[in-house]
Amino acid sequence: MVTPPTVPPRPTAADRDAAVELRARQVSKRFPARRGGDPLLVLDHVDLDLRHGEFISIIGASGCGKTTLLRVMAGLEPDFTGSVELGGRPVTSPGPDKGVVFQDHRLLPWLTVADNVGFGLLNRPAADRQRVVEKYLRLVGLQNFARAYPGQLSGGMAQRAAIVRALVNKPRVLFLDEPLGALDALTRMHMQRELERVWREERVTVLMVTHDVEEAIYLSDRVVVMGSRPGRVKKIIPIPVARPRSREHPDFLAIKKELLTTFSLEAREYFSYEI
Amino acid sequence: MNESVISLKSGTVALPSAPRAPRLCPALRARLRAAGALADRHIAWALPLLLLLAWELSTRLGLIRPLFLPAPLAVAQTFHDLLVNDRLWLDFTVSVVGVLRGFVVGTAGGLLLGFMAGASRTVDRFLGATLDSIRQVPPLAWLPLLVLWIGAGSLAKTVIIAKTVFFPVFMNTLQGIRGVAREYIEVGRVFGLGRAQLLRRIVIPAALPGIFTGLRFGVGLAWATIILAEMLGGRQGLGYLLTRAQELLLTSQLFVVIVIIGAVGLLIDKGLRRVEARLLHWKKGFEG
Repeated sequence: MVTPPTVPPRPTAADRDAAVELRARQVSKRFPARRGGDPLLVLDHVDLDLRHGEFISIIGASGCGKTTLLRVMAGLEPDFTGSVELGGRPVTSPGPDKGVVFQDHRLLPWLTVADNVGFGLLNRPAADRQRVVEKYLRLVGLQNFARAYPGQLSGGMAQRAAIVRALVNKPRVLFLDEPLGALDALTRMHMQRELERVWREERVTVLMVTHDVEEAIYLSDRVVVMGSRPGRVKKIIPIPVARPRSREHPDFLAIKKELLTTFSLEAREYFSYEI
Repeated sequence: MNESVISLKSGTVALPSAPRAPRLCPALRARLRAAGALADRHIAWALPLLLLLAWELSTRLGLIRPLFLPAPLAVAQTFHDLLVNDRLWLDFTVSVVGVLRGFVVGTAGGLLLGFMAGASRTVDRFLGATLDSIRQVPPLAWLPLLVLWIGAGSLAKTVIIAKTVFFPVFMNTLQGIRGVAREYIEVGRVFGLGRAQLLRRIVIPAALPGIFTGLRFGVGLAWATIILAEMLGGRQGLGYLLTRAQELLLTSQLFVVIVIIGAVGLLIDKGLRRVEARLLHWKKGFEG
């Protein structure tokens, strides 16, 4: 019998408001109808708050709208209803204060790794830029690959470069859209540790989409479980396990079990058969 | 045969000997391999050399009359005569300069309008139908009209070549820009790039491979077209030399000019390929 994890006392509404960095209120998003059908409701009145410095993961079955929610909050989806605010200001477009890492690294193949990482810094003096790029390459152990081209990197290395490329502008929020999804299991675990370290050192607020329950628990302060069709926030689960986390810790395992249960109930609805 | 055999006499195990293939000493084998590699590298020369040899022999042995097929050495002699005593150099420069002039004009136009049409749907729609109609008429079909308007001089040639180069460059630039992956565009947006920056830092580099395909295609077409144009009208150029040799039944001159045309075409393509390889070294793909 596993004891349920203890949940810390909820902070008051005033506490939370003071530190909220990114806030989504009643966000709904429809994709236009195809061939006379009804428009597809992808997100249905979603509320979500990210506190300053918090690491939040969204998990959910594929097609539940989690990536769409991330894209809306990052300013990448123009048409939605409801509001998204970053530091109290409405988010209407992407920009350097919102770093984004996609599932595919999307490094520009015609630039060296250093130029890719410094892509967001072109308005700064060259010496300054070089210093910042060097610092970030070192942060993810790529200092010896500064002059390499993306085509010469392994998947894990390319994704590390993509992560620091999103960080050089010191964004207020870092959006990670299944950033480790394309990596093999071992590289992935290594990258999770790396990501946690980078997050701690940079003290950035992170919103990550993943379909990996363990990854979400390992990294997040809170895990948002989304239900599908239409996508809504089904449950928000705090992860009060001390860092650095052990995947074998009883609390870790208990939360994992709880999440998997929620998840499979959801999946059963979604696929309408037993799994 | 190859199993281990216990020899009764010595009581030791005789290990199976290696299969009895004819064994070469390692030095010889290495040398053969090196020769093989060398042959492989220069394989492109083998066929032309063989053909040349067969050709020289067949004429020397009287199998073919030199009027139809002059021997390679005779062609070489004619080349020398044309260069020293005739006007080969002049005609050569006329053709090459003509292509260059038309190429520069056509490329500039193709790049400019290609970028504009690529960047703006309105420009694309504005130009599309007109350009497509002009494109359907082959460059040389414009020649009679051009000769009527501006004579058969170098200006007419420049116009024809510019038209020939313009379309591949224009279309590949347009397609190259339109074909830039949305994913890269999104990267630009994430970094807050404005329209001009987006074009300069993302769209153009990403479209460069396509643009180069257009350039290479265009220049090849241009070289072929200028020869044809010179054959059809005009009193100068390699094409004119071909017509002249034809009328005077100087078969070996035909050969000289044909070889020069081929060699120049090859050099142009190799040169552009080299520029491309340097500019697009980041591009990786199927290498055969």
